[in-house]
Amino acid sequence: MRRHYKQLILIGIIILLSGLTLGFQKIKVGNFERGSDTILGLSLGLELQGGSHLVYQALDPDTKDPFVADDNSKEMDSLKKSIERRIAAAGLGEPIIQIIGDNRLLIQMPGVKDPERAKSIIGETAQLEFKHRKLNVAQNIVGLSDNIATNIYAAESPEDDAGVTTTGDEQKPGSLYIELTPEDAEVFSNVLSRMVDDFSKFAGQQTILQNPSTIEMSIQGNSALKYNIFAIQIIRKENSNEFIFPLPPDPMNQTNYSIEETNNIIGENGKVYFSEVIGSLDEDIGLTGDDLATSYPGTHANSQQPIVNLVFKERGTAIFAELTQRIAGSPTDQIAIILDDKELLSPVVQSEILSGTTIIEGNFTLQEVKDISLLLESGRLPLPIELLRERNVDAILGADSLQKSLIAGIIGLGLVILFMVLYYRIPGLIAGVALVIYTSIVLSILKISPGNLTTLNLSGVAALILSIGMAVDANILIFERMKEELSQGRTVLSSINIGFNRAWPAIRDGNVSTLITCGVLFWFSQQLGETILQGFAVTLAIGVAISMFSAIVVSCTFLRILANTSFGKKSFLYIPTK
Amino acid sequence: MDFAGKRLWFFLISLAIIIPGIVFLITTPGLKTGIDFTGGSTMNLSFSEDMKQATLRQELTKLGYPEATIQKLDDNSYFIRTIELSEDKKNTIINGIQNNFPQQNIEVLSFDLVSPIVANETIINAFWAVLAASFFVFIYILWAFRNVPNTRRYSFAAIVALLHDTIIILGIFSILGELMNIEVNTFFLFAIVTVIGYSINDTIVIFDRLRENIQIYPNDKFSNIVNISIRESLGRSLNTSITLLITLMALLLFGGSTIQTFLLVLLFGVIIGTYSSIGVASQVLVSWQERDFKKIFRRN
Repeated sequence: MRRHYKQLILIGIIILLSGLTLGFQKIKVGNFERGSDTILGLSLGLELQGGSHLVYQALDPDTKDPFVADDNSKEMDSLKKSIERRIAAAGLGEPIIQIIGDNRLLIQMPGVKDPERAKSIIGETAQLEFKHRKLNVAQNIVGLSDNIATNIYAAESPEDDAGVTTTGDEQKPGSLYIELTPEDAEVFSNVLSRMVDDFSKFAGQQTILQNPSTIEMSIQGNSALKYNIFAIQIIRKENSNEFIFPLPPDPMNQTNYSIEETNNIIGENGKVYFSEVIGSLDEDIGLTGDDLATSYPGTHANSQQPIVNLVFKERGTAIFAELTQRIAGSPTDQIAIILDDKELLSPVVQSEILSGTTIIEGNFTLQEVKDISLLLESGRLPLPIELLRERNVDAILGADSLQKSLIAGIIGLGLVILFMVLYYRIPGLIAGVALVIYTSIVLSILKISPGNLTTLNLSGVAALILSIGMAVDANILIFERMKEELSQGRTVLSSINIGFNRAWPAIRDGNVSTLITCGVLFWFSQQLGETILQGFAVTLAIGVAISMFSAIVVSCTFLRILANTSFGKKSFLYIPTK
Repeated sequence: MDFAGKRLWFFLISLAIIIPGIVFLITTPGLKTGIDFTGGSTMNLSFSEDMKQATLRQELTKLGYPEATIQKLDDNSYFIRTIELSEDKKNTIINGIQNNFPQQNIEVLSFDLVSPIVANETIINAFWAVLAASFFVFIYILWAFRNVPNTRRYSFAAIVALLHDTIIILGIFSILGELMNIEVNTFFLFAIVTVIGYSINDTIVIFDRLRENIQIYPNDKFSNIVNISIRESLGRSLNTSITLLITLMALLLFGGSTIQTFLLVLLFGVIIGTYSSIGVASQVLVSWQERDFKKIFRRN
């Protein structure tokens, strides 16, 4: 006993340390922080707790081919940071982002609840654009002939008029009935149904509904009968080329004539002109996120209202100055700020801005201006990206896998120990104890290791359980040698010693070859950006290394101690059943 | 038991397994490759109510995916493989099914997408990985057995065993792909490299005995020494295989279904690896020593 106290103390300390590591959910010593709320505080990967794993290819902004990095180009780093900020700003937790190779990005979001939202936040086109938005732009309807009406008259509105009705004593304005040639009627019908479709498609989206497209009609070139009308209010009479237009009752519009008055204005051969007024039309002015120097939240000096500050670079300043000079003060011109094809804001310009420094005011909360500034800043992704690989696992499936792996692990470990005890008796029992110690050491190493390589995934579980099988191999090698020595009539103790020494070269060579394959697997998975598989290689390597310690130090020490007790005299306890 | 004397039988048994495997591997379709190698999308959909496979097939055909493969996982969940799906297209599929079955609560349990670019790289990298694993193992055995006469033979024999195992596994999975629709993926490659590691490990244990026994019985016939070495390490080889098979079976039966292909490869790999270290690696050494191949040539 006395001769082994050093080893015993070492084993004791290691058991204590791994017990403590696994016993506490979270460990914090100074800056060192590990653990989580999951089982034993292990960090579980996407397969065991659900989440999202994405690999993106960075593209050259001009050619859209894979991006080629220079020796000291910073694009990939800033791409990484931009995406980190985007995800964090969206409140989707802390992603693990790695640059793989020269031009790829791996984004892992274990536990993320809404992978689709995460993907849309990351975006793909990665573009921030400033466009000149013109409101209410009239344009001719292509395909209509010049003088298209064959008959125009005003009359009472039909009963099922989808148009405007009035209440009370107000004079009913009636409707205009306009008959078109068959060809024109078809063209006009098509335009109307397209506009109705657009209208219903965007219904619910406030920004568009504020400015839906309308049909502008004027009759007889008379400004008195010129007005805008929603496509949805225009009805085509069944089986005819006649269209019914509600006359506007609104006194704000100057056309509040009675039916007779209207008929008088139209006269015998009234002419009608149609044009489509597009609610808003965005004009590309070549101003993009690249032209933005910075964006930050602030409060207005006078009103103390939250505002967004924008500072343009040189080129941006010039374009911005030209645009603001042109549209300052106009209520029908806006600057549409579009991030990844979605409108972020569309402010109007109050006065011309030549300095390139401007603010956006509005009824913003402090949180809103922070988010907008962040999005504007991080919106400038330095490179466009393209999705190469995606793997999403639902949390339910993850929890299910975790539970099944646990059961499989416990059953596997239990059966191996049972087999060892039945076959090798006392040494088998000791190997079993060593296996449990081995498992807890490996788990605690996985827990305290930095980085996400030791994050436990299904493949990691497989590696762990596989390494249990391999850890037992070292024991088996030793016991088989011991058995030979015992059968040659040696004492238990000397059989143990000789057995260990003889088995060592095989244990060493075998494990080194496994480590070599682990190294190859590690390299292979790194090339592929498959961190899940990288985890397999790392876990297996840790397992193999610890298994040597477990067999040589733990099993060996316990066996020697037992051999010195009365158990050592009964050599039948050491010879396996045949 | 005279293992070395029966080496012809061992070689014949190996050939009997390898040849049908190679036939399946070479004749189309060979290995059924998963999206990792071809690119595409897979998803695992679960339905709250009964959903028939045929109904789901109809729905997908209506939505424009007649070539989609559909596999039933358990009661009301399905594994669906299609061409590469963008977010929009994926949503169109889910919403399309949802619209026709409003009472269903459809959940996407997992979604995978691999672009064909990545798929191509995977194949190239896999090739290098197997080559690199073989090369380094070769070098290591050269070093570990540097004091034994004819070191190169040991390295060579280990590589023959390793290729033997790889080819058999590829063949088995070509057959399984045909019979049971098992697809191979990146995990499959990983399992193969792991099997290579295990097979080498097992071979080394026998070679280690050989290394020792050559010194103990310097005047004995080489085939005898091989026999003694195999006999002495047989207990260990079998017991280690049994413990590994126990853990693998536990994972296969009680673990999740996600890594089943991976585990199956390991299961076959352990059995074949154990066999090949006795029946192939050791016997190649004996054949070399006995100049079997030269005898065959001389006879012709």
